[in-house]
Amino acid sequence: MIEIKNLKKTFRKNKVEAVRDVSLTINDGEIFALLGPNGAGKTTTMRMLSTLLSPTSGTICFDGRELDMEDVAVRRRIAFLTNEIRLDGQFTPDELAAYYGGLYEMTPEAIKENRDKLFDYFGITEFRGRRYDTFSTGMKQKTSLAICLLHDPDTIIFDEPTNGLDILTQHLIESYLLKLKEEGKCIILSTHILDLVSRMADRVGIIVDGRSVFCGTVPELPESQGVATVEEAFIKLYKENHEEKAILDKKERR
Amino acid sequence: MKGMGKIFLHEMKKIGKEKSLLFGFLVLPVITLLFTVGVTLLQPNTTKNDEAEAYVMYFYGMDVETLNVGMMDEKEIWIVSCEEEPEEFIDSSDFHHCDVLVDYSDIFNVKIYYYESDAVSSYLRMSAESFVRQSYESIYKDMKKNVSFREVEMEDIKKKDTSNLMIAMLLPYMLILPLTANISNFAADTVAGDKARGTFYQVMLSPVPPLSLIMGKILSVSVISLLSSAVYITLDVLGSRICEALHIKDAFGFSGVTVTVPQVLLILLYAVLLCYLFSNLGVLISLFCKDQNQAQVAQLPVTLMCTLASMLSMFRLGISPSSHYLIPVYNICLIFQDLLNARAKMDNMLLVALSLVILAAAVLVTTLLSYRNERVRA
Repeated sequence: MIEIKNLKKTFRKNKVEAVRDVSLTINDGEIFALLGPNGAGKTTTMRMLSTLLSPTSGTICFDGRELDMEDVAVRRRIAFLTNEIRLDGQFTPDELAAYYGGLYEMTPEAIKENRDKLFDYFGITEFRGRRYDTFSTGMKQKTSLAICLLHDPDTIIFDEPTNGLDILTQHLIESYLLKLKEEGKCIILSTHILDLVSRMADRVGIIVDGRSVFCGTVPELPESQGVATVEEAFIKLYKENHEEKAILDKKERR
Repeated sequence: MKGMGKIFLHEMKKIGKEKSLLFGFLVLPVITLLFTVGVTLLQPNTTKNDEAEAYVMYFYGMDVETLNVGMMDEKEIWIVSCEEEPEEFIDSSDFHHCDVLVDYSDIFNVKIYYYESDAVSSYLRMSAESFVRQSYESIYKDMKKNVSFREVEMEDIKKKDTSNLMIAMLLPYMLILPLTANISNFAADTVAGDKARGTFYQVMLSPVPPLSLIMGKILSVSVISLLSSAVYITLDVLGSRICEALHIKDAFGFSGVTVTVPQVLLILLYAVLLCYLFSNLGVLISLFCKDQNQAQVAQLPVTLMCTLASMLSMFRLGISPSSHYLIPVYNICLIFQDLLNARAKMDNMLLVALSLVILAAAVLVTTLLSYRNERVRA
């Protein structure tokens, strides 16, 4: 279980408060969708969850243990994939699997077993001897996903996992995420596709202007806002909290 | 240091697979080789051999008549009596590299001084030796004594203490220029390039400790830059040797260079230390850059300063001791020169090595602290 309490991140360079106050609870064996408009602080929150960034204040606890930026044990348990993260283009999927598996101190047997399983599922097997930079966008994303999951992590953090992919690849990735959920893994998704949230997510967290404004199950979201759909609830929450923030900002300036 | 070896090997493989990086590693040195040969062929004739109007065999301590004994390369060969002391005469402007001086002051210990530089000097040396043998035998024949001929002592003046002067002057520049250029290129690619391509974050997310990650990158940059510089220097020397073998001319005055194994090993040791320091700096600077171009521009002042220091060392006067301990690159250049000229002092060498190690360690600590910086990780 992951518990995020009063998380705050201010970038020192430009004094931007990317995350102001985020508190969320994410359980094992569920798909948790993190929603928010562009610039709301979702990616920064995910970067803090993945140990790439350290919070300015607040805490992140993995199974009751507070997360540290250099926490090697936690890193072994998580996988983080965004569109910005790529693999070395000069190498083949086989070579990449051997390298990243080695970094996670996996045995050659474990690497082979997990690699074959993942490559078969994502249809990479026939391309395993080809350079990564010769792949299409979809194939690159699938290979990145396979390499990212090679060490069999408990917690999988995906930032826009199906962005820019064709329907078939989207379906393949979504199916795999559901399979991982069935295996009891914790999956955190950041997405703008509300349909994906409705179909896949168990629980949802909404961040507006760096503040978490909702955390609950998917059916609870429209119910709590007195509307019919997730989309309407999201827009309502955004408007209310964005306006509230603007009023607060004005007051602070005075 | 878990994972350091894996990162090191991966980086080396990556460079091996990247054609654009191999361009800097192999193609540039080949261009340099062609440049060296080309420049040698095109450079004006300014060697001492060419300045001489004729080739001369000087005889000291023996009255010889001034005599023309033939022609070579359209220049006359003369036998001339020398009045000045050999030591002074060798340093004078009358004595050219192609000339030979025979010290006949002690008939039982005849010495022939020469510069082992080209075919002309070899021919004159052998002619002088033959002349000495004949005159020696004729003296004893006149005295009607049957004595066997004694060996004539040969002394290559160039090997005395000046044989390595030219290479000692050029080596720091020849080593530091490709070294800094390569490190700048490879460090920019391996860190800032990886950041721009998005591949750096995947390694950052792995359980590899920061020290292993940074050291893996630094070592790969150091090794590949050293190898590249070794190729560079080898081809430079090869270019010079090709010119010499073809009897074109001694391109950089490298003929007669005598370098012992300990000298080479010590030079290599200091080159490794220097390379390690540069690589540390390169990686530190690249950590804060968004892409390869930005990193290369940011490293430019370091590259220029190092090149400038190596150029300045070429104008070092006399054998002044290496006393500029606060300028590591300049110090290293002086150490290279001292090592090649067999003038290096142990205390100077230790001090320079220690200062480099301390500086590199300080840069490494700064790099590790910077690794946590949000500008690096964001």
